[in-house]
Amino acid sequence: MTDATTVLTILLMALVTYATRIGGYVALRNRSLSPRARAMLEATPGCVLISVIAPFFVTGEPAGLLALAVTLLAATRLPLLPTVLVGVGAAALLRAVIG
Amino acid sequence: MLIGVLPLGLALGAQASHKGLGPGAVAVMTGLNFAGGSEFAAVGLWANPLPVALIVLMTALVNSRHLLMGATLAPLLAHLPRWKAFAALFWMCDESWAMAYADAQKRRAAGALRGFSLPYYAAVAIGVWIAWIGSCTAGAAIGPAIGDIRAFGVDMALPAVFLAIMKGLWTGARAARPWLVSLVVAALTYLLVPGAWYVAAGAVAGLIAAWFWAPRA
Repeated sequence: MTDATTVLTILLMALVTYATRIGGYVALRNRSLSPRARAMLEATPGCVLISVIAPFFVTGEPAGLLALAVTLLAATRLPLLPTVLVGVGAAALLRAVIG
Repeated sequence: MLIGVLPLGLALGAQASHKGLGPGAVAVMTGLNFAGGSEFAAVGLWANPLPVALIVLMTALVNSRHLLMGATLAPLLAHLPRWKAFAALFWMCDESWAMAYADAQKRRAAGALRGFSLPYYAAVAIGVWIAWIGSCTAGAAIGPAIGDIRAFGVDMALPAVFLAIMKGLWTGARAARPWLVSLVVAALTYLLVPGAWYVAAGAVAGLIAAWFWAPRA
């Protein structure tokens, strides 16, 4: 099942991720960013993460929406791992009950 | 902390297996990339035909926080030879960065000349790395046997991980306004435009908002 495109994608992912790891060390260590550049850089990961999961917020599946609300509530109060367990548990339970 | 990695890896591996990624591909991806948030994003976008450019771009954007993390680590790595610093940075993840950073400040407060301990950092980083690769690969191996992972709620692991990461990034409602812009634009694009454009549209809209709302110096 693993074709050339899959391998290429994985290698490119690894490359750009390593670039982000050494990029800050190489380019930013003796420099201070403008407040505007810093604000954009700090907002980037959150903006991307919420965009990736945006479909979950507008799904037509009631059980999925309810589970998402429970997950959101859990995320504000609990650390990462319990949040995941609550989210997965709520989705399984609500789908079993509501369908 | 290592135990905390395991269920996440199992969930990622199981999702990847349902997108047609075998245990081998998952092991290579998680071992070379080693950044969970971007791997969840990539697996979420995984489709046939594969949107290579979109996945690689989103990987770079999700991991752009490494730029700031690497910059804060730079003074701590200054005494190391270059090649050691570059090798150490390969294993810089949220966990190893946060723990090494906190450890360095503790050591410095205790009077140590150099706060950063390479053996401590390496132990944390390699431990998380092995646990991550192992659990993801195991998830990919058992994923096909589970059948419909949605019935078990495994798909909810993706928003759960992302929302929990975002809570860690939270610095107040003002700073989070661009996130809301991203959410609204991404959701609308998802409903109105076919394909995976919603991720790029949401991210770009949020960044424009961040630029617009940035504090003036």
